[in-house]
Amino acid sequence: MQTILLENLAKTFPGGKEAVKGISLSLEQGEVFGFLGPNGAGKTTTVKLLNGILAPSSGRCSVLGFDPAREPERVHAVSGVLTEHAQMYDNMTGLQNLIFYAEIFGISEGEGRKRAMNLMEKLELEDAAERKLAAYSTGMRQRLSLARAMIHRPEVLFLDEPTSGLDPESAQNVNRLIRELAGEQGTTIFLCTHQLRYAQEICNRYGLIDEGRLLAGGTFEELREEVAPGAELQIRAGNLPERMLQELSGEKSLRNADVGNIRWKFTEEKPVNFGKMLSLKIQSEEEVPGIIRQIVGEGGNIYEVKISRPSLEDIYFSLTAKGKEEQP
Amino acid sequence: MNHAMYAVLKKDFRGIVSNRRLFTELLIVPLVLTIILPSICVVAVHFAPDDPDIVKMIEMLPQGGRAESLEIAVAGLIFNYILPVFFLMIPIMTASIMAASSFVGEKEKHTLETLLYCPLSVKQIFQAKVLASFLFSMLVSLISFIAMLAVLELEVFFIMGSPLAPAAGWLVILFLLAPSISLIAVTLIVRGSAKAQSVEESQQGAVFLIIPVILLAAGQFSGVMLLNVWILLGLSVVCALLAWALLQKAMGRFTYEMLLK
Repeated sequence: MQTILLENLAKTFPGGKEAVKGISLSLEQGEVFGFLGPNGAGKTTTVKLLNGILAPSSGRCSVLGFDPAREPERVHAVSGVLTEHAQMYDNMTGLQNLIFYAEIFGISEGEGRKRAMNLMEKLELEDAAERKLAAYSTGMRQRLSLARAMIHRPEVLFLDEPTSGLDPESAQNVNRLIRELAGEQGTTIFLCTHQLRYAQEICNRYGLIDEGRLLAGGTFEELREEVAPGAELQIRAGNLPERMLQELSGEKSLRNADVGNIRWKFTEEKPVNFGKMLSLKIQSEEEVPGIIRQIVGEGGNIYEVKISRPSLEDIYFSLTAKGKEEQP
Repeated sequence: MNHAMYAVLKKDFRGIVSNRRLFTELLIVPLVLTIILPSICVVAVHFAPDDPDIVKMIEMLPQGGRAESLEIAVAGLIFNYILPVFFLMIPIMTASIMAASSFVGEKEKHTLETLLYCPLSVKQIFQAKVLASFLFSMLVSLISFIAMLAVLELEVFFIMGSPLAPAAGWLVILFLLAPSISLIAVTLIVRGSAKAQSVEESQQGAVFLIIPVILLAAGQFSGVMLLNVWILLGLSVVCALLAWALLQKAMGRFTYEMLLK
């Protein structure tokens, strides 16, 4: 079932700034979707459009079948939102805040208290439950905001930088909670972040946005296939056959060398204890045993073999660079 | 009113009571207008010599002949003709303090956006905010009136030996005029608060609402217009209609986007 749908969604602010430029994408139930992009890319504007806080200039979007521009209250009833600017009341305690928001969502005070305590326990805030929010640290406020966004058990969660300001332990805890929500309760998570390593840890699908345009979308494997298919095989080897060594180290300017059936490439020469570091572009892991056999067969010693694939960060930078080149 | 609006209303009430600075500001005006000012008047009337001009003026007034003594007549005059005008400032002042911070206060504390993500329409948020300020200003006005009546009656009874008789106009003021004026003030201030960028800006705008009441007071003092029950009733009807029209107009004009600007 499609939970979130964006069709050519665009937003131009009255000043003329085009914050979102015709984005189309769809999310299935239970997905953890990473909406990635630098600051000012249009992530928060998209979240606001999906919640009816902003009206689109063109295109349309829907959340669980509701059009946020026409029925924002119905969208809000089924979704939870965490953004940097959505704060809570300093003059109330953490628990009072959560009970207040629970009541707004039609939950009774008793049930709200129960849910609030449960969430605070999960987010390690139970000791601060009776403390006024003014005394909360940035990380505690962030965790309480997450609890607030989840108090009415929404079917869709919009999280804008949920781990900003959190220490690594709390961030891990939040990640576990998000995974639990998506996996066990089928909550769809729309996660905006510019912390790519964090996104790679938690998301199962991505959309890369820059300057309001969606550069690419798909699973990590799909994005990698699009940007940098295959992988790089790195081998640290010594006692290589004379013929191989001569050809490889003969000319510094010559970065490529054909040795037997293998087309080697020096990507980098590192000072290593034994042997030389050689890199080779491969299409599939199936090629690895053959290459190893060939080196060993010709009398070489292998000290280290590793396959290196581009990270989400590499893919992201490659796509944003490509995006900038394509811009008029 | 639905559950969510009631929650917002309760939260706003709690917010004003827990804010010591705002609460003190709220108490000062009613205290001065309903306790200190009337007490000064009573004492002044008691110790003032029987001025022939005042005697002449009292005789000209409709209530003058009925009073037991000149003292009681002057005290009654102050209570039933002068104090009502000052009393009308209470709902306006109370409303201005609470309503001025309704939207812009939330905007300043970054809590407005959170409220907008709740299943409430802008209209419902507006209604909840107006209702909270209105009920609060009515509550303060009613308590102020009861306090004023108790203090004045005791003072007049012990100093002058006879209780004061409140005129029927007070009923009109308490239950018709004050609520209408309060609603006008709250609606205008909340509307202004939604557009203002700071609480101070919103409060400054609210100050202008006191001008009609000052004109009314000037009218009373100079004798241009003496407020009787019928004038008060007419004024109440006009104010109530104006309040209703303003509320209807204000409720339909806001969008989420405008509020967050």
